[in-house]
Amino acid sequence: MNGFMGRLLLVDLTSGRLSEEALDSGLMHQFVGGAGFAARYLYDRIDVHTDPLGPENPLLFMTGPLVGTAAPLCGRYEVCARSPQTGLWGESNSGGRFGPFLRFSGYDGVLFTGKAARPTYLAIRDGHAELRDAAHLWGKDTYETQEAIQAELQGTKLSIACIGVAGEGLVKYAAVINDWGRAAGRTGMGAVMGSKNLKAIAVGGQGQVPLANPDAFSAAVQATIEAVKEDVKGQFLTAGGTASTVDTTMWMGDIPNKHYSMALWEPVAKLGGGTMAETILTGQKACYRCVIGCGRVTRIGGRHATESIDGPEYETVAAYGSLILSDDLEGTAYASHLCNRFGLDTISAGSTIAFAYQLYNRGILTSKDTGGLKLDWGDIEPALTLTKQIAHREGLGDLLAEGSRALGRRYGVEDQAIQVNGLELPMHDPRAFVGMGLVYATSPRGACHNQGDMFLVDLGAPVPELDIQLGNRLESSEEKALMTSRVMDWRTLYNSLVMCVFCNPSADLVLDLLNGATGWNLSRDELLPLGQRAFQMKRLLNGKLGLTAANDRLPKPVLQPLVDPAVETQPPDMSILLPAYYRIRDWDEFTGMPSAGRMTELGLQDLVAH
Amino acid sequence: MFNFASEEWVQALKEAINSSAGYAEAAKTWEGDFYFIVEAGGPIAQETVMYVDLWHGVCREACLCPDRSLKNPAFVITASLPVWRKVIDKKLDPIQGMMTRQMKLQGDMVKIMKAVKAAKELVECTTRVPTKFPA
Repeated sequence: MNGFMGRLLLVDLTSGRLSEEALDSGLMHQFVGGAGFAARYLYDRIDVHTDPLGPENPLLFMTGPLVGTAAPLCGRYEVCARSPQTGLWGESNSGGRFGPFLRFSGYDGVLFTGKAARPTYLAIRDGHAELRDAAHLWGKDTYETQEAIQAELQGTKLSIACIGVAGEGLVKYAAVINDWGRAAGRTGMGAVMGSKNLKAIAVGGQGQVPLANPDAFSAAVQATIEAVKEDVKGQFLTAGGTASTVDTTMWMGDIPNKHYSMALWEPVAKLGGGTMAETILTGQKACYRCVIGCGRVTRIGGRHATESIDGPEYETVAAYGSLILSDDLEGTAYASHLCNRFGLDTISAGSTIAFAYQLYNRGILTSKDTGGLKLDWGDIEPALTLTKQIAHREGLGDLLAEGSRALGRRYGVEDQAIQVNGLELPMHDPRAFVGMGLVYATSPRGACHNQGDMFLVDLGAPVPELDIQLGNRLESSEEKALMTSRVMDWRTLYNSLVMCVFCNPSADLVLDLLNGATGWNLSRDELLPLGQRAFQMKRLLNGKLGLTAANDRLPKPVLQPLVDPAVETQPPDMSILLPAYYRIRDWDEFTGMPSAGRMTELGLQDLVAH
Repeated sequence: MFNFASEEWVQALKEAINSSAGYAEAAKTWEGDFYFIVEAGGPIAQETVMYVDLWHGVCREACLCPDRSLKNPAFVITASLPVWRKVIDKKLDPIQGMMTRQMKLQGDMVKIMKAVKAAKELVECTTRVPTKFPA
């Protein structure tokens, strides 16, 4: 099967049995790979009774047809399961080298079931898989774990994905960390690993992905590289990392300040990629075959002196910076370091902590609750302390480890928590780009910016060949709902390929890459339906897990207007956007599920009876 | 009214910049000169090159250049006449112009990304120059 290694590794952690399963070519053709394939595959294996942290929750690491090929910015993998954070579809992806190395080891994906009796890690080297004892690794942080495994398994160049103490302690938003500081951060996949006593996965080998049409593929690769290099977005990312957007979008109210209560806070510029480049930056890191290199390597001095830090990224400088009104760049870099080492999602961790700051400053949380910590706006030190407490489930950290929804629920202010279905909003305020409100409300994994980056489209990155057009960022309209649905379908396809959202050549080049790798001979008109099929698949799976139309809601605070004469913002009008989006998606207004007709159109008729 | 991209227009822009308190404040740390280039096409028979030297919130020098060889500026921004017009009419944000590849930028991206506020004020200055665009 061109474009694939052709097999999944099945690991039953309870029995220790390892086996293989051939990939179903029909299923790959339908769902491409990555998270799209994972949703269809796991649909038959989980339901509303599946305990996300129980042995019965299957955990799938999956790649796609472009991963590990010469295609640029396709060095990614997806990790999927029922999320302990949301109870819904859990999906997270990460860059680095793990995805390609998994393919080089001989497999497209690995499915874990059951629970190991004692800490364990999986090693796959050149097609040979083995479970190994990880008792000596339990309690180690993610960097120590990777170093120890590298030392143990000498001889093969490896990439390692692992959990830190947060995953071991079942923190609901524990991340999977790979290649030192790359994170599959969202939806708590690290906690699922921890629940299975699975500390790490080490992969490597000499395998090669077979290509259907190497010459055509190679031509598409070269053209894609050139397109990415010419793209000013990529140039900004190279120069300033993901935090390069701070300096630009702060003037639109995109970056949230003081826990979503201020449109503009000018000191945030001190956290931007430009400042970082001129101060603490010591180097850059690129994922496999990436020509951008947005990864930052920094060094900080002072009270948290650290020689080498992976990051901070945009989400981290916002979550640990502007959200608590701290302009301490070195502090946010250290927060990034802590989250990487403990294995925590910086978005959920930072946002939950910022919510605690807000409750403290409103007198809802007291010093008694915080163990004497003063959560004063602008002071990042308590946030760093709380991060350690979360990772180790100590003090207030034990509650914060459950996320902002749980924190709000404990103090009777759940509606003030900035989350959708338990997943904290990423650092793009929907009052700056109303399309993001719709994305957050309807994303299959809770509030997520990588299931549809409407902020980027309306900032100036439309995809005209797919009729994804530039629009007014503040206009809630039927047209906005239509564009949002298309962007979500497009990015859903990206999450199946698996391709980085910073890779934005023309859609025709993406098509050429996919056809060149697989030989599927798809047309441009089939791209968005491919994305929509996977998107609706995830919706159906969420329906099976209990989601209804009532889940598609934004938190109240981001529906309140922000007032600042220097920045134009507007809350999304969900009374316009949501019904329009439901019509476009052909979703039932009560169940929230797609109609039988739409499912049949998308080739999902076998699931209609469910 | 000044004809766009003429020597008179460039001088009027210099005056507008130097009388803008908003620009002076926003660009007080900015150091860098520009070529603003209007691509040939339509009524623009040949590429038009405007030079503007911006330093600590003031415009030190501005002139029309016969071609690109006269100066060696730190930054070069190139766009077609209709795109420049949209920017000056505030119908196109320059950042959006660059992202959509309607405007091309060469120079130190780190410096540019830190100067968004100054760029906004600079656009404000251009709107204060009474401008006649070629038909």
